[in-house]
Parts: sequence; C-alpha cells; structure tokens
Amino acid sequence: MNMHTQPQRTPAETALIDAFGERLSLLPGDGAVMLKRDDAIEAVKHGLPTRRIESWHYTDLRRLLSAVPDFDPAAAAQAIAPIVEGSTVLILLNGVSSAKAPVVDGVSVQRLSEKLTDGSIAPGLDPYGSDDAIGALNTAFVADGYFVDIADGIELEKPIELQNLQAGGQTHVRLPVRVGAGAKAVIVERQAGEGAALTSSVSQLVLGEGAEVTWLIVQEQPDTATHLAQFKAHIGKDAKLTLFVMNAGGRLVRQEVMVKTTGEGADFKLRGINLLAGDTHTDVTMVLDHAVPHTTSTEVIRNVVTGKARGVFQGRINVHQYAQKTNAKMACNTLLLSDDGEFSTKPELEIFADDVVCGHGATVTEIDHDHLFYLMARGVDEKSARGLLVKAFVAEVIEELDDEAIVEALEARLDEWFVTHG
Amino acid sequence: MPAVQDTIDRVRKIDVDQYKYGFQTEIAVDKAPKGLSEDIIRFISAKKDEPSWMLEWRLEAYRRWLTLEEPTWARVNYPKIDFQDIYYYAAPKSTPGPTSLSDVDPEILKVYEKLGIPLKEQEILAGVQKTDASELEEVSDNVYKSGRVAVDAVFDSVSVVTTFKKELAQAGVIFCSISEAIREHPELVKKYLGSVVPTSDNFYATLNSAVFTDGSFVFVPKGVRCPMELSTYFRMNEKNTGQFERTLIIAEEGAYVSYLEGCTAPQRDENQLHAAVVELVALDDAEIKYSTVQNWYPGDAEGKGGIYNFVTKRGDCRGHRSKISWTQVETGSAITWKYPSCILRGDDSSGEFYSIAVSNGYQQVDSGTKMIHLGKNTSSRIISKGIAAGFSQNTYRGQVSAHRKATNARNFTNCDSLLIGDQCGAHTVPYMEAKNSTAQFEHEATTSKISEDQKFYVMQRGIPEEEAIALIVNGFVKDVIQQLPMEFAVEAQKLIGISLEGSVG
Repeated sequence: MNMHTQPQRTPAETALIDAFGERLSLLPGDGAVMLKRDDAIEAVKHGLPTRRIESWHYTDLRRLLSAVPDFDPAAAAQAIAPIVEGSTVLILLNGVSSAKAPVVDGVSVQRLSEKLTDGSIAPGLDPYGSDDAIGALNTAFVADGYFVDIADGIELEKPIELQNLQAGGQTHVRLPVRVGAGAKAVIVERQAGEGAALTSSVSQLVLGEGAEVTWLIVQEQPDTATHLAQFKAHIGKDAKLTLFVMNAGGRLVRQEVMVKTTGEGADFKLRGINLLAGDTHTDVTMVLDHAVPHTTSTEVIRNVVTGKARGVFQGRINVHQYAQKTNAKMACNTLLLSDDGEFSTKPELEIFADDVVCGHGATVTEIDHDHLFYLMARGVDEKSARGLLVKAFVAEVIEELDDEAIVEALEARLDEWFVTHG
Repeated sequence: MPAVQDTIDRVRKIDVDQYKYGFQTEIAVDKAPKGLSEDIIRFISAKKDEPSWMLEWRLEAYRRWLTLEEPTWARVNYPKIDFQDIYYYAAPKSTPGPTSLSDVDPEILKVYEKLGIPLKEQEILAGVQKTDASELEEVSDNVYKSGRVAVDAVFDSVSVVTTFKKELAQAGVIFCSISEAIREHPELVKKYLGSVVPTSDNFYATLNSAVFTDGSFVFVPKGVRCPMELSTYFRMNEKNTGQFERTLIIAEEGAYVSYLEGCTAPQRDENQLHAAVVELVALDDAEIKYSTVQNWYPGDAEGKGGIYNFVTKRGDCRGHRSKISWTQVETGSAITWKYPSCILRGDDSSGEFYSIAVSNGYQQVDSGTKMIHLGKNTSSRIISKGIAAGFSQNTYRGQVSAHRKATNARNFTNCDSLLIGDQCGAHTVPYMEAKNSTAQFEHEATTSKISEDQKFYVMQRGIPEEEAIALIVNGFVKDVIQQLPMEFAVEAQKLIGISLEGSVG
C-alpha cells in the first residue's frame, strides 16, 4: 500500500521547481506577494495534477507536460497587427509590458510589475483551490502584465487589444481588468508567438453594475507551445459579459474559464470555437457559479477535430441554494473529422436551488451526410462541400456576436486557419 | 391512469417516514463471527461446501481488496465504514439447502408473505396439485397477478428457496442460487464468473468477490426463450450484517430472459452495508432484460439508519446483435452508488439504461450508467429521470465512450431532474468520449422544478395540488415505467408516490 507516498518528480516538475529557485531574486513583489509565491510553488512541489484529479480528468498535466523550456532572456517576440484596425494595443513581449502605454480617456493602464512591487495586487493572487495548477504556476512566476481600469460610465468606441506574444522560453503574465459601473468595452486578448514556449496567463475581470463587456480570447500559439490560461470574471448587478474563446493553435492548451454572477440580473454568454489539428491537446474547462438569484447564462461551444488532435470540453454550472430563478443553458457540439482524433466532453450541472431552468446538450458526430449530399447534388465537389459545412458549423457562433468589425476580424482568423489546415 | 389515484390514496394513508417493509423478524440464525479475515472467508466457503478453486478465487480477491482504498469520487457523504464491525455471514438455521417449501422455516415464509412475494403461490402454479379454492383466491390477490414468475428468495446471506425449478429445467433453463451453481455447474460458473466484473474491478466488487454469500444464477441455453419471468427477492433481516450477493446471468446464442430484482430491509438505526455484484453475459443474438425495484430501508426522516448500497452491475454484450437492457427504479437506501453498465463488444449489439431515481429525506443517490462501445454499429440509449425532494442529493453520473474501432457507434442520452423543495440538490455529470469519427453521440439534460403552468393547468380542472403533483411526477417518469414488466410497473408507480410523501404541497 504505497498510494500515499510521493511519486517521483517528473523532469517538468523538477525544472519548474529549479527555475523558481533561480528566478526568485528577479521576481517583483513585496513581502505579501513573495509569501503568496512561496505558497504557490509549494503546490507545484506537491506535483502537477494527474487524471485522478477530477478537474484534470482528461488532461493529465503531469504526463502531458513532458518538458519545460528554460527562461530565455534573449527571446525577441514581434508585435502583430490588432485584429480590429484602430484598436488600442497593450503589448507584452516575452512577458514584459511596455513602458509607453497608449492613453485613452477614462482608461487607466498600469504595468503589473509595479503593482506586484508595491503589493497592491497581492489579494488577487491566491489560487482558487488545491487543483488550481494554472493559478499556482502563474502566482509563483508572474512577473508582469497590465492592470486596466475603465472608469464608470465610459463607453469605448474602439477595442482594447491585450497582446501576449512569446518567442520561446517561459512567460507568465496576468491581466486584471476592472470595468466600472455602466461602462462598455470590447477587449481582445491575443495569445500568440513563434517559439516553443511555456506560457501561463491569467485574466481577471470585474464588471461593475450595468457594465457591458465583450471579451475575445484569440489563441493562435504555434503547435510547439504549451499554453496554460485562465479567465476569471465576476459579473455585477445587471452587468453583461460576452466571452468569446477561439483556440486555433498550441501543442498543449488548457483554457480555464471561471465565472461567477455576483449581482442580480447578471448575464453571461460564452461562445467558443476550438479548431484542433495536428498532434495536439486542447482543453477548455469552464466553471460557472450562479451565486445570486435572477441571473442568466448561455454557453455554446463548437469543436472541429482533425488529424491526431485531442479535444476536451468540461463545463460545470453550479447553481447555489439561494440562486433561485436561474436560467442556464449549455451546448457543446463537436465535429469529429478524423479517426485518429478524439473528443471528450463533460457537461455538468450542480443544482441546489429548485426554482431554476437549467439544461445542457452535447453532441459528437461527423458531417451530416444529407447536408453533404445536398451540396454535392448541386455540383460542389466533396472536399469543397465538406469545407463549407465545417466552416458554417463554427462561423455560426461567430456571427452571433453582432459587432460587424469583430465578426469580420474573427472570420478572417477562421479563414486563415482553414487555409493552413484545410 | 388508475394507478395514480392509487398512489395518492396510499400516500394519504402513510406518514412521512414510514417504510412499509420495515418490520423485523426473529429467526434463529447461524452467524459467522464478526469481522473480516481469511478465516472468515474460509468459513463462508466451507459453509457453502465450495470446491477449492472457489476458495482460492475468494482469497485472491481478499488479498487484492486489502491493497485497495475506498473510492471517494462519488457525491455521497457517510461516516467511514468499519469493515471489521460487520457480520459477513448470517443464515437462517435449518436451511442446509431446503429441497422444497416444506423445509423452509415458516417464519421466513411469513416474511415473504408479508412482503407480497408469492413463494407459495408459485409452488401451486408449478404443478403441485392443490385445488383449494380459497388458496387460489389468495393467489389472485397477490402483487404478481398477471403471470408466472419464478422466484429465488435470498434471506440475509443465503438463498432459502427457488421456485419453478422443475418447469424451467424442462426448458433447459438453469435457475438456482449461485452457491448451488458452484456445486452443480462448476464448469459454467468457472467460465463466466468474474469475466464481466473481474475480482480486481473496484473496491466494493473486490470485497464482494471475497465474501459473497449467495445470489442467483441463471443460464439460458442456445435458442431458448425463457418461459417465464425470473426474479430474485433480497431481504436483509439480521442486525449488523452486510449482504453481499452475486448474480450471474448467461444467455447463450439467441436466448432471451427477463429478470426482476427486488429488495427490502428492516428499519434500524444503524446503517447496513449491501455490496452486490451482478454480471450479465449475452452471446450472439441473445437478449437480457434486467429490471430492479430497489427499496432498501432509506433511513428515517432525520437521516438516521438506512442501507448503504454499493453495487456493481455490468452487462457484457459479448455476441453480435446481442442486447442488454437495464431498468431500475431506485427509491430506497440511504446511499446509492450504482452504475449498471453495458460493454458493447459484439458488432451490432445494443445497450439500454432506463432509470428512475427518487430521493427524499437525507438520501444520497449517485447513480448512472456506462456505455462502452467497442464493436461496430453498436447503439445505446440512456433515459434517466431523477427526482430530488427533502434534503436529498441526487446525482446522475454516466459515461459514454466510443473506442477507435467502434465505427458507427450511436448513443442517445436524456437525463432530466426534477427538484421538489429548495433544500435538495440535483446534479448531472455525464462523460462523453469519442475516438471514432463515425460515432454519433447526443446528450441532453434538463433540471427544473414542476412548472407552475403545469400545476395550474391540472389544478384548474379541479384536481387538488397533491394529486396534481403526483400526476405530473408520474408523467415525468412515464418513459421509464413503460420499460418495466407489467407487474413491476404498477408497484414502481406506487413506490414513487410513497417515496415523495411529505415533500409536496
């Protein structure tokens, strides 16, 4: 009976622990921040999560994270054009913020390294639980990012684009954003680069009363990169959050979405498309807490699996005991296009209130033969017909976004993926 | 639906936590000493007059069990079970394998009579010539009105009687207790026992493999359609005992069998453990239909007492075009941990799972199914209806997976939950895993309370609220009830009404 003995550390675990020792003197932070870092690395020392940890059931990080690259001070990432022209761009190159942040009325931007140094960000650094490996890893190593504060009542005309670009090595960034009461904004989170990096990125959004935010995560890492990301949000009274997640790259990707409705009338929409190709592993895990009465949510996830790709969607909706009148719906649809690919999904409902309407649906299938026949009967060759159908399957989710500039920008990203992975 | 009115009448008569099968019976018993050790296993094996290979099999399982830990992943909470504080063997005295009903302790027969289990009636129908009119009348009053059902009655650790054996034997069907099968048909038992649920399967199945005391054995040979419904009735009577039964059902090529299982236990303040294993094997073109009405004592209104029900049930569609169908109505037990599964190994095989799980008081249910698609063109269907009331927690946990070679695997899953009251919880945890592009999986789940509109609609036709709710609940579970054999359907409907008593209004 040796189940409780500590298993031997994997090379990746050892590399992370060693790297922490080496980086410690370079990491910004006051006493409180450094204490949190120490606690966080302790969690890493206990071992990366395996499939025995329920929330990591389909992504055995301990096994999948086979190697961890060293920090690379010489890495030089290149800036990219924003997806919507005229956006306010806040850029992080190899995990380092820029000293010259653009100025927008009503928006205050601070480098996170400064907030770490003065300790004002410390309370937000705690991982949410013992299985929060991404939170722990990020808290241990986070060195920079941006803190963005959008003042009450400000309605931004142009999106803010947060670019996190890597060129190998390791980057650990954090993006806390506060949106004031009644403010409106579109925020784009770009995750891209060219190297075989390990990135951890944690976005934390707080929406004030009546605020409306559309947040787009566009993840296009190269198929050599490991990308571990977390998006956390609190949605206040009558506030609306639309989160759009597009995963179109990465070798090992885990995108966690942790959302809580904290005020009555809050509304959350999640729309996601996962375009999976090659020999890659992509996991989107959502935990949604309906914590107060009268809140609503809908989630639609569409997945396209090709090659030897493995995809995962876990979505859990928790309805707390006092959250009466919750209305929550979730759908996860997958097109499994290759016999070597696989997709696993676990849509969960945890419901403690009785006056609710909650539902989820999940499907896994190949392309509908009737649809294919319909197109081919009109002279479209099979390959093009398949392409059309697959694209329509995911584009449907994008088109729901209403904002023309964003829909066009995302469709352009989609086209690019289809050109490369056709 | 007359049954609905019947449900309401019954509900009216009964207080909230009254469990109608909660009586105890004083019967002289033969018990093994308390606790678990290799000696106890040897004792059980000797009591059963088992061959040495069986003892070895048990001991191997026991040694394996010692290395395992209790699983904690299910959404159930209970104090740690002291496995040394349980009697692993309790048998009514004077039952060294009764050969006829007259050998059975009349006290036991009374128990079954009280439970409405027609042991005597079956004997009459089996051909023991008795034409006493009064007795026949008694027969027609019985729960199992419609037809002939062969019953294997398991009382604590032993099977006390199996009815209809002769007639079944004429058809070539073997229906007996598993202990008897080990003695009489060792070649069949050796071939199939543990082939679906191996001794190393999980904590409770391994424990069961080591200490199982009785259960039923069914063998339906090639091409035979079993001439009647088979049934086992489990009764836990003795205090502090655990019941560990093992059921093995084999349907050879083209065979068909329908099997029913029922269970009750006396009302006690202590919790009692029930860890069963059921294995089904369906060969080419065979079909097995397995229905359960589980009504172990659920504990009182404060959550004291009740049965811990940790059950491993699995069917293996080993042959092509075979079919296994599970239907369960779960209303009893303090804790239910049960996932009847199908392994769809043969090409074109199919699996079904229909479930109603009703929880009230402080009951905790974590139940569901697994459909493992391995063969080509396999299909499965899951319909699960959970009803949570009082302070109970009701979880559906299920897995559907298609392996690489399972081309054209097809699954449809529907799990709906109904919440009655704001202190209970309903949870849905489905796992879907597709590794084949031709797989087609659909899953849908909903959770809601009885809608005010539905209730209003019924009530404005002059039906009082409680009846309205009973009507709606019965409508909610209809899909599953329809799958039950007729005799059980009526009983199940009543049971659901009774289980929900005190929660509505």
